[in-house]
Amino acid sequence: MPILKIIIKQLMKYCKKPFFIIRLILILVVTLNNLYLQGQVIPSREYQLKAVFLFNFTQFVDWPPASYDTEQSPLVIGILGKNPFGTYLEQTVSGEKINGHPVIVRYFENEAEAKGCHLLFLNIPESKKRNDILKALKGKSILTVSDGIDFLEQGGMIRFFTNKNKIKIQINLEASKASELVVSSKLLGVAEIFKP
Amino acid sequence: MLFKNIPIRKKLLRIIFLINGIVLLVACVAFFLYEYYIFRKTTIEKLSTIGKIVSANSTAALAFDSPDDAKEILAALKNEPHIVMASLYDKKGNLFTEYHAGKEVKNFPVHPETSGYHFVQSHLEGFESVMQDGKQLGTLYLRSDMGALQERMRLYAGIVAIVLIVSFLLAYLLVKILKKSISTPIISLAETAKIISTKKDYSVRAVKMGNDEIGSLTDAFNQMLAQIQQQDDSLKEFTQNLEQKVMVRTDQLESVNKELEGFSYSVSHDLRAPLRAIIGFTAILEEDYTSKLDNEARRITSVIKSNTEKMGRLIDDLLSFSRLGRQEMAKTKTDMAMLVNEVKDFFAIEDEFAKIKWVIRPLPQIDANANMVRQVWMNLISNAVKYSAKCESPSIEIGSYVKGDQTVFFVKDNGVGFDEQYRDKLFKVFQRLHSAEEFEGTGIGLALVQKIIVKQGGRVWAEGEEGNGACFYFSLPS
Repeated sequence: MPILKIIIKQLMKYCKKPFFIIRLILILVVTLNNLYLQGQVIPSREYQLKAVFLFNFTQFVDWPPASYDTEQSPLVIGILGKNPFGTYLEQTVSGEKINGHPVIVRYFENEAEAKGCHLLFLNIPESKKRNDILKALKGKSILTVSDGIDFLEQGGMIRFFTNKNKIKIQINLEASKASELVVSSKLLGVAEIFKP
Repeated sequence: MLFKNIPIRKKLLRIIFLINGIVLLVACVAFFLYEYYIFRKTTIEKLSTIGKIVSANSTAALAFDSPDDAKEILAALKNEPHIVMASLYDKKGNLFTEYHAGKEVKNFPVHPETSGYHFVQSHLEGFESVMQDGKQLGTLYLRSDMGALQERMRLYAGIVAIVLIVSFLLAYLLVKILKKSISTPIISLAETAKIISTKKDYSVRAVKMGNDEIGSLTDAFNQMLAQIQQQDDSLKEFTQNLEQKVMVRTDQLESVNKELEGFSYSVSHDLRAPLRAIIGFTAILEEDYTSKLDNEARRITSVIKSNTEKMGRLIDDLLSFSRLGRQEMAKTKTDMAMLVNEVKDFFAIEDEFAKIKWVIRPLPQIDANANMVRQVWMNLISNAVKYSAKCESPSIEIGSYVKGDQTVFFVKDNGVGFDEQYRDKLFKVFQRLHSAEEFEGTGIGLALVQKIIVKQGGRVWAEGEEGNGACFYFSLPS
């Protein structure tokens, strides 16, 4: 019994200290946030990096003004196929704006839905299916990105590949030019240029 | 050497060097400070510009996690040798890639700090945000040594040294030119003054070279010279006139004197002939007609005789006195002791003077005309004998001593002496202190003595007291 008495006494003392309420709220918020994050899907380090790269592409590529409906229209990053980023990509782009256009992420079931987006990540392992999708999107100002080995031969624009444990970028400049996309020379500086 | 003692040319040189040096030094210090300030400012600006370029170039490398590319970009900094260290940090502040020039390896900052550049000890360092479309992708760190500043300052020091040397050379040349207008007139003035003072030629004039202070000094100098010349001329004229006047007067005096001497000689000589006749005929009267004359006539005859004898002596004395002026002086070595003894013996043999006590001190030999000096001794000793003979125990002392370059001789007696107030009258012709009845004499003796001694370059004087003897001195060159 005396122990309980002491604990209560200590608590009472603690309550008298300033900012007690604020401290209590902070502790609660942190605890709740941790509980929330535990419920999310955390992608692998590779896809975390790729998610950041996808967002960074928007900073080094210029889309034709016609690709936006209005000045405030969002810049849409689309995911076609299985989403490998969990919520990580959304977190990365949340609140970001490119030239006044807010960046948002959309998940598409098929290529028809994807026609209005600006950047499309094709997480589609089947080469043939990818080819069909690319053909369907041809002429659209959509920056197509994928991991597929023959993606650039198929007419895709940017391919991720791994070299010495590092994620590298390969760019098909002809394809991007054909779609009226302007790729920054800075980006080209860190990328490999694909030559058919 | 003191500044005031160095030549004007050097003074000018030093003043110009000093002013030149001070002005240049002040200018150079200002220049240095300005350059230092500007250089620091431009160094910061330059580094900031480089930082902006590098960070703009490294956006993609940071965005796409490509340290190799970033390294390549930073490696381009080797073209700017003063940038010794550079590094990139990613968005999270972790070291992304690094670069360092040469062997200098120092610890890179672990984490980036706020943007901006500042000087730390001997180098400049700072951080630059790597931005793409307003979004920060990372941070660039740059560090530049101040070698460029030191290089620049060394260059400036060299330039300053060259400027100093050139300006001093120019100053030297300037002084050489200025010398003509400042130092040359003064030197020429000084030289003119020197020439005038050595040659005593007051007709020389200094050349005026300008209308400045030295010019007016030259004018004043020339005016002074003109005055001196005028005074010198009038002085010369005056002296010349004076000399001429003196010469004329001397000539006149000499001729008058000669005339006078000639006159007195001929008078004395001519007086002798009638006197001889009187003496002769008086003697005939005394000898041949003494029986025919009565007593009174015989007395008158003897009076005539004694007076004619007296007159004969007077004429003899006058003759010898006037002859003195016409005689040439031949000096020989004369033994004074011998002369004095001769004269003494002349008197001593007389019974009348037997009681005189003679004291004769040793006397030197002397360069003089023996005949004349004999007359001097004769006169002085005869005087001493004459004026002391009447006292009870007369004594005469003769001696000499050396005073300066002259030998002084004296004849001292204990006779009647004379009143000191008449001492100047003693040596004048026909001036007598005693009557002819009391002491016989012509009044020419001492005048003759004085004339002889003065003619031989000596002096005569006397001391005495009434009733207490007298002492006569004369000096002759030793």
